[in-house]
Amino acid sequence: MARSEDQKSSQQVAFIDGQPYAIEAGETILQFARRLNKHIPTLCDDPRMEAYGSCRVCSVDVALTVDGPRKVVASCHTPIAEGMHIETENSRIQKLRRNIVELVLTDHPLDCLTCEVSGNCELQDVAAEVGIRQVRYAEGENHLHYPKDTSHPYMRSDLSKCINCYRCVRACDEIQGELVLSVAGRGFDSRIIKGMDTSFDDSPCVSCGACAQTCPTAAISDKFFSKSVEATDKVRTVCSYCGVGCNLEVSVKNNEILSIRAPNDAEVNAGHTCLKGRYAWRFYNHSDRLTQPLIRKNNQLIEATWDEAYDFIADKLISIKKQYGADAIAGISSARCTNEENYLMQKLMRVAIGTNNIDSCARVCHSPTAYGMQQSFGTGAATNSIKDIKITDFIMVIGANPTAAHPVTGAKIKQRLMKGCPSIVIDPVKTEVAKYATYHLQLRPGTNVAVLNMMAYYIIEADLVDQNFINSRTEGWQDYESAIRALDMDELSNICGVDKHLVREAAIAYAKAPTAMSFHGLGVTEHSQGSRTVMSIADLAMMTGNIGRPGVGVNPLRGQNNVQGAADMGCQPHQGAGYLPIDDPKNQAYYQKKYGVELPTNIGYKIPQMYQAAQEGKLKALWIMGEDVAQSDPNHHYVVDSLQKLEFLVVQEIFFSETAKLADVVLPGASFLEKSGTFTNGERRIQAVRAAVSPIGNTKVDGQIVIDVMNRLGVTQPDYDPAGLLEEISQVVPFFAGVKWAELGDNGKQWPVLEDGSDTDILHTETFKRGLGKFHYFDWEESNEIKSNSTSFPFILTTSRNLEHYNAGTMTRRTGNKDIVNEDILLIHPDDAHRKQINNHATVRIFSARGEVKLKAEISDKVKPGILYTTFHFPDDMVNAVTSSEADRETLCPEYKVVSVDLEQVA
Amino acid sequence: MSKNIAALARRKGLDDGLFERIREQKSHQQKQQIAKDFLVGDAIVQGSASFYDFIEGENAQKKAYVCNGSSCLCAGTQPQVLSGLLQHFHQDDIGHVACLGRCHENASFQISGENYSGDDIHQLDRILDQQAESGEDYAVVALCDNPILTAKITDTANYYQLIEHLITQQSRDQLLQSIIESGLRGRGGAGFPTGIKWKACADAIGDEKYIVCNADEGDPGAFSDRYLLERRPHAVLFGMYVAGYLVGARTGVLYIRDEYPDSIDLCEQAIEEFEQLKLSYSFRFKIVRGAGAYICGEETALLRSIEGQRPMVSTRPPFPVTEGLFGKPTALNNVETFASIHWILEHGAQAFNARGNRKSTGTKLLSLDSVFKHPGIYEVDMNTSLSKVIEAAGGFSKPVKALHIGGPLGGLVPVSKIDDLTIDFESFHEQGFLLGHASILGIPESMPLIEYMEHLFDFTAAESCGKCFPCRLGATRGKEMVRNAIDQKQALDSELLTDLLETMELGSLCALGGGVPLPIKNILQHFSDEVRPFFQLKNQSSIPVTEVH
Repeated sequence: MARSEDQKSSQQVAFIDGQPYAIEAGETILQFARRLNKHIPTLCDDPRMEAYGSCRVCSVDVALTVDGPRKVVASCHTPIAEGMHIETENSRIQKLRRNIVELVLTDHPLDCLTCEVSGNCELQDVAAEVGIRQVRYAEGENHLHYPKDTSHPYMRSDLSKCINCYRCVRACDEIQGELVLSVAGRGFDSRIIKGMDTSFDDSPCVSCGACAQTCPTAAISDKFFSKSVEATDKVRTVCSYCGVGCNLEVSVKNNEILSIRAPNDAEVNAGHTCLKGRYAWRFYNHSDRLTQPLIRKNNQLIEATWDEAYDFIADKLISIKKQYGADAIAGISSARCTNEENYLMQKLMRVAIGTNNIDSCARVCHSPTAYGMQQSFGTGAATNSIKDIKITDFIMVIGANPTAAHPVTGAKIKQRLMKGCPSIVIDPVKTEVAKYATYHLQLRPGTNVAVLNMMAYYIIEADLVDQNFINSRTEGWQDYESAIRALDMDELSNICGVDKHLVREAAIAYAKAPTAMSFHGLGVTEHSQGSRTVMSIADLAMMTGNIGRPGVGVNPLRGQNNVQGAADMGCQPHQGAGYLPIDDPKNQAYYQKKYGVELPTNIGYKIPQMYQAAQEGKLKALWIMGEDVAQSDPNHHYVVDSLQKLEFLVVQEIFFSETAKLADVVLPGASFLEKSGTFTNGERRIQAVRAAVSPIGNTKVDGQIVIDVMNRLGVTQPDYDPAGLLEEISQVVPFFAGVKWAELGDNGKQWPVLEDGSDTDILHTETFKRGLGKFHYFDWEESNEIKSNSTSFPFILTTSRNLEHYNAGTMTRRTGNKDIVNEDILLIHPDDAHRKQINNHATVRIFSARGEVKLKAEISDKVKPGILYTTFHFPDDMVNAVTSSEADRETLCPEYKVVSVDLEQVA
Repeated sequence: MSKNIAALARRKGLDDGLFERIREQKSHQQKQQIAKDFLVGDAIVQGSASFYDFIEGENAQKKAYVCNGSSCLCAGTQPQVLSGLLQHFHQDDIGHVACLGRCHENASFQISGENYSGDDIHQLDRILDQQAESGEDYAVVALCDNPILTAKITDTANYYQLIEHLITQQSRDQLLQSIIESGLRGRGGAGFPTGIKWKACADAIGDEKYIVCNADEGDPGAFSDRYLLERRPHAVLFGMYVAGYLVGARTGVLYIRDEYPDSIDLCEQAIEEFEQLKLSYSFRFKIVRGAGAYICGEETALLRSIEGQRPMVSTRPPFPVTEGLFGKPTALNNVETFASIHWILEHGAQAFNARGNRKSTGTKLLSLDSVFKHPGIYEVDMNTSLSKVIEAAGGFSKPVKALHIGGPLGGLVPVSKIDDLTIDFESFHEQGFLLGHASILGIPESMPLIEYMEHLFDFTAAESCGKCFPCRLGATRGKEMVRNAIDQKQALDSELLTDLLETMELGSLCALGGGVPLPIKNILQHFSDEVRPFFQLKNQSSIPVTEVH
């Protein structure tokens, strides 16, 4: 008896149209039917969101037993139950659906043929499916007169076409977490509103487009008619802005891009993306695009053919190498480019030139993360996956503004925070996530190590350490613990400007959480103690056992789309492809075998050392691929001066950037929309990038450019082809062993990818890459910038990014994003503004020991007194004129986040 | 519903409630400040504010309000009320309100937050000079021995001693078992077993739980909850207190409709008295004042209202007992349900269970409107015959063709069916009607039922939350169809009307859109001769168009 009951309970079934099917716990009738590929029409359902039950079109006929009384229920919110008999299509249901849709059409324009979404309209589809022949109701009250809203650079609404399914409102709430959309009034006159019932442009809409993507009709759409069926091709690729790695679906017709949407089945972004990914793509064929190679002649950049450019480069590099040696040449690779291109760039330098002078913009962002996490764990990459945000019990965000800089991940974090997930935000600025966090430790910039040490102290004091984990998985605990115990909390509290009781409460909450996930950004790394901060974060994770399980870990929010990949591919002077240190003879032999040539063995220049070497006359030639160092690197004047001192500067770019202006040869590369390859996102996910259009004008895919020059320098390399290059990479980079272009599929794979193709979502589950995890204690140290300059320049300026623009703004400034935000703004606390007699929105002059900039000031309580905040997207503002050359002690990552300045209002 | 808004509103708690802030703040800047304080978007504040009649609806900020509820409509008193008010107020300063619960004497209106009815309109001058108060009075009659709901509470302190004593004598499980065994079913209309609901809430896991009293008695024609809130508030508080003790909640919220100002005052007074008693189980009460939205009587909409969200009906599951107010386990019951608890605990579950027909147990309050010779509140044992009630009320004061029982969504009972009905859930159900909240209003012979049909559609259209398509669109289309027929613009198409009623009945998310077809179908079935002329000739023969489900 018992056995048969067990069997029964393990095989619960329900019936659809008479046929039995196994049911799964917790699913609704609609989910049950969809799993079985049984179609049920619906208008208000979006599987990514909570069931809502407004349209009732998904109604089905249900009986609890075969002959039992039948009832009509909405399948989207009715749980499936054992033994249920469901009829999805009987005459009563068909009639109900038809009658509901008929009602909808009494208040909907009947102009399908001219409608933007004709052919891709869910209402149109459902109306056809249920067989509406006519609308029998007499003409009555309706909302066909509602005006269109075309106020916004991207977003559009035409509420005459709205069917009040609330999908947009729910997407704004449940997906983006912005709560910009709601509904005014009630009943028949319910009407979608933006903000305080204003236009899209006047509302605080962040233009993520989630509403437009989910809207089943043309009621909410965008400037690009992204729901139109005009495009002949849809190409799935990966966004080239931040390191989240959103999948994009690009609509193409006649080799021109019409619009971009996000695929709903993408693991990374499930149909969501931000305004950069979705709307800021018009740069790709902007008239400013470089379309011809340029060579400097008589101090002027003149158009040239590719052969002329290549010959010129090959000749110059060969002669410089001959005269000064290979180490007089250096390369800066690009985190915007593909893995394959980065691999080629480092191969060009190491194999064709014979130098380890190769670095990438990881230097100026997450080099301390790679370094610090390698010291602590052995691997310089995120330990966990973004999907863990959904299940973790605690979120700590340190020095990151994810809703602006990593919007899709930021939205996921914000969703948890809004719902009350216990959380800590450590940031000098009251960021969006800080507003929702349980604890905001608003520290003085440059004191991360002090705060993290305080947290460690209180966790140890409260005896909340995970001694088992410490004993079995780590080393260096005792030294670390005794150093922490010796600290004076009052002193540290004074230093960082955060109340020690608040730190204690936060630390205890973190340590008590069953699982806690930490995220960090450049507010951690871009400091003189950047690497040390990373290791301190690792210390907290290890002492609380928050490593190697779902929902835990240390997770850097990688800034650029492929900054993870650029480092993985060996674009750094001390490690080759796959992070093998190049000064170890064992690795030298390994690379020699792979590349078939003898490789240089001395560690090359990091980017700041390249400038230094240029100043000293040691570096003669520099090849920069896709990076505007003149705008984005700190201490602008010094960087420009260094570049000018070079004998030969090659810049591979898509625009005539501040850096390109200084070049001897400018090579017009291709944007991500014009090339194929792979990007690796911040959770180690290698995803396929697929060309949507061919390279415009006379431009070339950057990888091909590098290959063409390699071939001229005598190194044979087949033409650019992601499949072939990945095969080569999989033989060199150990954790790419099983990566094959043909097997990446739509959602890619997370490295390490084993030879059998299986991938890895959580690192360090059993052992650390380095064996035992290592504790490191560091004293907090004041930045030299403060020590040297704070007397003359008493304010601390800290810089960051905003949502609308991306780094140097090269791309975003050439899109509609510029119509949303078109300048860098300085935030200043009301007390400081009062003291310095600065009016809201007045122009202020900010000056440091290096230089000065003028910005518009905004009085804001997002910063504490004494702290100023701005972004660095606009070359006219050139915020990096004031930043310093101070850098992280271990990695030379620049200290952008602590700049001593003073300011005054410009008359 | 938005889990995000619920969680964000919960951060501030009930004492700094989002809804109450929205209720009180009017200017643009104030609303923006609320959005900022609660970390929600401006749209959320605006969306909520614009939902309610008395916040930003078209009836907000009026100097006087005329009741347009079903009872006052049927009584035909309101044209006179309006003309009385027009002598003192400009047309634009007079708004509408859907029932003030003065159905026993009608001619209802409100001025400066005070309700008036009956003869009050004739002394408007004195009222405006503050020389007169409302002369409201109604009969309270127990048509049963040993009344449960209308017995006087003489000694408040002693009244609560019952539970203080029982706590020391019986376990929570035992007390809960008594409620279950009493057979008490929800008096709001749905008739769900109260004890089972409380048990589910007690078993639900939650760091915080709530008791909520649905005192949003919006059904035009009903005033029995108002009677309890004003004259026996401690019976209600006692029931909520016991519920709190049994499910493990520390907070009880009374959501009282704005149209019942006296109920709010008198409950506040009772809560103060309760607090003086300092009972052993720490429990606090909070009154949340509605703002004019019938849909808030629906339990999930009511919870969303308290949270400050737009009071839209939520899908179930999850049920409020597991995810209710602010997403926490919540036992939500009607006023009259709570008011029955004391008697059950005092006299035992068996005694309560013995009254009625075993399925509907205990007693029921009926509110009888002015069509009866002796209108007022009547308490009857469940299973009492309807004709006995009518007889006790002295019969009708004027010729009546039907009774509308159980609110606007209840059945329309032709006088010929009166003798077939007893006051219990089962009898009404079997006869194709609905006991509902058991308000009884009379439809005089003089009231054209085609106009009553329009009134029902109009009420539904006005009060629909707008979430589900069948109700949002169907009520308006129904109203238009009937109006077109009355105006002789277009006669009713019986097939289309049948389709509309079936669509609303089967497709609607809640009982508003799903319920209004019942009285309309009752009209079509029982009064086909009267409404036939309004139908197209080709299908006049097919009336009645409907069978009752």
